[in-house]
Amino acid sequence: MNPAWTLISAFAGALLVLLLPARMAVHSRVVALVAALIGMVTGAVDCLIRLRHPEHAVWSLDCEWIPSMGARFHLEADGLTLVLMLLTGVVAIAGVLFSWNVNQRQRAFFAWFLMIIGGVYGVFMSRDVFLMFVFYEMVILPKFMLISIWGSTNREYGAMKLTMYSIGASALILLGLAAAYAGAGGTSFDLMHLASAEYSTGLQAWAFPVLFLGFTILGGIWPFHTWAPTGHVAAPTAGSMLLAGVVMKLGAFGALMVAMPLFPEGFAMWKGMIAGLAIIGVMYGAFTALQQKDLKFVIGYSSVSHMGMVVLGLAAGTHWGLRGAALQMVSHGVIAGLLFGIAGRVVYARTHTRDLDELEGFDLWRTLPGAAIGFTLATAASMGLPGFSGFVAEISVAIGLWQSFPWLVPLLVLGIIVTGAFSLRALQKGFFAHRKVAKVDAPDLPPLTWPEITAISLLLLVSLSIGIYPKPWVTLIDETLRSPLFHSILSLP
Amino acid sequence: MNYSALFLQLLPETVLLLTALGLMGAAIASESRNGKALPNKVAMGVSALGILVAAVLQTRVPDALASTTPLLAADGVTMIFKWVILGLGLLAVLLPPAKREIPNPGEYYAMIQFSLIGLMLAVATNHLLMLFVALELASLTLYLLVGFPRTARTTEASLKYFLFGGVSAAFMLFGLSLIYGFCPSPYLPDVAAKLAESGLSPIGAAGIVMVLVGLGFKLAAAPFHFWAPDVYQGGPATSVGLVVAASKVAGMVVLVRFLVLGFGGTEGWTTGLSVVAAVSMVAGNLLALAQQSVRRLLAYSAVANTGYLLVGVCGNGALSSGTALFYVLVYGLGTFGAFAVTAGVERETGSDSVESFAGLVKRSPMLALALLVCLASLAGIPPLAGFAGKFAMFSAALKEGMSGGSMPLAWLVGLAAVMSAISLYYYISVLKQAFVREPVSGSGCKLPVAHVLTVVVPAVALVVLGLFPGLLMDPIADAVAGLLAMK
Repeated sequence: MNPAWTLISAFAGALLVLLLPARMAVHSRVVALVAALIGMVTGAVDCLIRLRHPEHAVWSLDCEWIPSMGARFHLEADGLTLVLMLLTGVVAIAGVLFSWNVNQRQRAFFAWFLMIIGGVYGVFMSRDVFLMFVFYEMVILPKFMLISIWGSTNREYGAMKLTMYSIGASALILLGLAAAYAGAGGTSFDLMHLASAEYSTGLQAWAFPVLFLGFTILGGIWPFHTWAPTGHVAAPTAGSMLLAGVVMKLGAFGALMVAMPLFPEGFAMWKGMIAGLAIIGVMYGAFTALQQKDLKFVIGYSSVSHMGMVVLGLAAGTHWGLRGAALQMVSHGVIAGLLFGIAGRVVYARTHTRDLDELEGFDLWRTLPGAAIGFTLATAASMGLPGFSGFVAEISVAIGLWQSFPWLVPLLVLGIIVTGAFSLRALQKGFFAHRKVAKVDAPDLPPLTWPEITAISLLLLVSLSIGIYPKPWVTLIDETLRSPLFHSILSLP
Repeated sequence: MNYSALFLQLLPETVLLLTALGLMGAAIASESRNGKALPNKVAMGVSALGILVAAVLQTRVPDALASTTPLLAADGVTMIFKWVILGLGLLAVLLPPAKREIPNPGEYYAMIQFSLIGLMLAVATNHLLMLFVALELASLTLYLLVGFPRTARTTEASLKYFLFGGVSAAFMLFGLSLIYGFCPSPYLPDVAAKLAESGLSPIGAAGIVMVLVGLGFKLAAAPFHFWAPDVYQGGPATSVGLVVAASKVAGMVVLVRFLVLGFGGTEGWTTGLSVVAAVSMVAGNLLALAQQSVRRLLAYSAVANTGYLLVGVCGNGALSSGTALFYVLVYGLGTFGAFAVTAGVERETGSDSVESFAGLVKRSPMLALALLVCLASLAGIPPLAGFAGKFAMFSAALKEGMSGGSMPLAWLVGLAAVMSAISLYYYISVLKQAFVREPVSGSGCKLPVAHVLTVVVPAVALVVLGLFPGLLMDPIADAVAGLLAMK
């Protein structure tokens, strides 16, 4: 299938939802589901085709767009892109299913939702940095609307903070990209063209950190991560899933595909610094999560910790490191979606609280066993137990780190241990607490609905498939890492 | 001199002039015959028709027309921007004055025609004298236009505009006379030739500074922007619509012609100009953050945007000034659209405060959507034209300001990018009211068709130009390259 269907289905779906007459507003979720389904099926089918026929040329679309600037409408779907497209499709479906009973302004909700999805697909497929930046920024306003209109705790504050961080990061990216464009002669925004240009060392020394930081702010790099927990908590469930699941990946993807290949010398200069920030992020996120009372904040800070591992893999700069970073992107996308979905939708909609102390009173493992099972498995995946995606990703990052910064590995291990601690704490307090005082009988909670079960199973399935049989995923990711784009990075001493 | 060619070249302006005279005659006739002023709708219709005819005739002006006199240029920039001025002028005329009816519409709309003539001539000349005369024609009429109908507010705005404007015109004239002393020809290509031959003399430098003060005022660059908030807030919507868009565009074209064509051979002015750009961006954006009135907010955003535009001019090259001219057009559309929505809200609620936008999406989805497009474009969010314009302009400035691998303008572009990010805060505060908050009053906004057009046309244009910026960016860039080839 033509990979462009992902983009088309998302944007066409958004348009269609907006055009629905008011009395059919409730059907907007069906439109959104179909659009998301088309996206996911496209991603899945194309992944399989790519695995079967790796010798075929990569699908690409390259046509003229703004001749005076040299920007082209250049899309490409190589291995990593296909994997991330599949991830986006899965998270999108789960997001629609978890938002099945949104009851105010449904059309607007799903329109903004699909616009985010479309923008994300666009970023993953663009091979022209101008185009990529267009898609990248396109996501900002829908995020704001989604959070500030349909959000919960402190939504306007959370939305504004997230938006200002995003646009601030974009300002850095804009400067970095403009510098690369000008430095390469100002004729083309093509990724390969820019990556093969020669930049002066002075330029690389300042342009790399600007560009890399700009991208990784959206990836939640410490100390610029503070938008992430507040934003995730304020967002409606589908919003948190998208934010943590795929939008944070945009930052990591940009850092991997644009910042590093463009300025390899700059990367060599700064990689120690980046690794330092990343390891602090891993530990800081984990320790902070250990202290949280709100279940969503636990997950929010765990995202900071997990995304720190992505950046750590990038900083390692070796094949293992980059592969681990890519795997962790996918793995965290699925797991964060799962955790946010269960905490924000399944549990909160029934108990109306996310406070861990209050949740103790609900006896969730008896009253809502489905949620408890789902959350247990998700926690296991998030802790990096073998058999789940988290394990594969973390071990790759650790190997990569061993090759570049061996003395950071103990700290990473410490971070992983603390991750286990906070995950178990949340699990125990939230779902498996023994009620100390029988204040009231545990209330009857409605059982899980079909959309919820489907979404949970789908996400778990992906995490398990990576954990049990990582080979196809690794094959696809490696295909991209072998491209000439990464020669300069991987050949660094 | 070939008078028939000259007539052909000036046919659009002539039509505007005849419309103006006709309007004034009709106003007098109507008052003396039945004691009542010309009806507002009639005056507006005739005025719009005149502009429309002029715009059609502008297409008939042959492309390859050789200039018939050194006073008038007949290059690509002229062709494109006369069109732009007419288009933005037409939008302004269609926008009803909002706050109160104009008591004497005949004179009012005639005055608009005059100011459009001034603006059109200003974009169409490389001759310093003509440039001054055209700008003054436009300015003097704009001072008056802001003062209609006579209330304390409009009078204050008009007077402030006039006093600042008068002083800046004096500066500009003095500067022009110094430049004439430097190179005894008021023709910009001659100035460029003289510059290439003997370098910049102190007198010439002083002249540039003085002219920049004058032009800085027209463009509302800080610290010459003090008139802008009062004019934006006080004036009738139609006049302000003209000030926010058409007059800004014309000012930029003049600036590019003057600096890049006339003095592109020297780098001396770029440092000074980049300081003005930085001050404008910082002052405009920070002051806009504090505004409660959307009209004032747009005024400070205008100051900030002038700052961005000056970054483009600082690049001192064909591409950077070409993209700056593209951006000023896009900016004009965006700010005009936002202003038209504000006028619509004001018409309904009687106030232009940020709170009066609450729940706009439920009261009028169309207005809210147009506001979203216009403000997002101003904030530089893709896929709207403001993004393409800003990105193209900043990267072109970096590229053309480059000397030997280093980028002296990087700090300025970085500041511009950061400031532009900050600007999203105040734009989104308005959008938050419109989309997130609940409406206070339940009634919907009902607007006349003409007003709807002024809202929809810019919004649609911004989307189309955002998706296909090449439609206008390429012709403008080519035209500017052609203009600079005259040097």
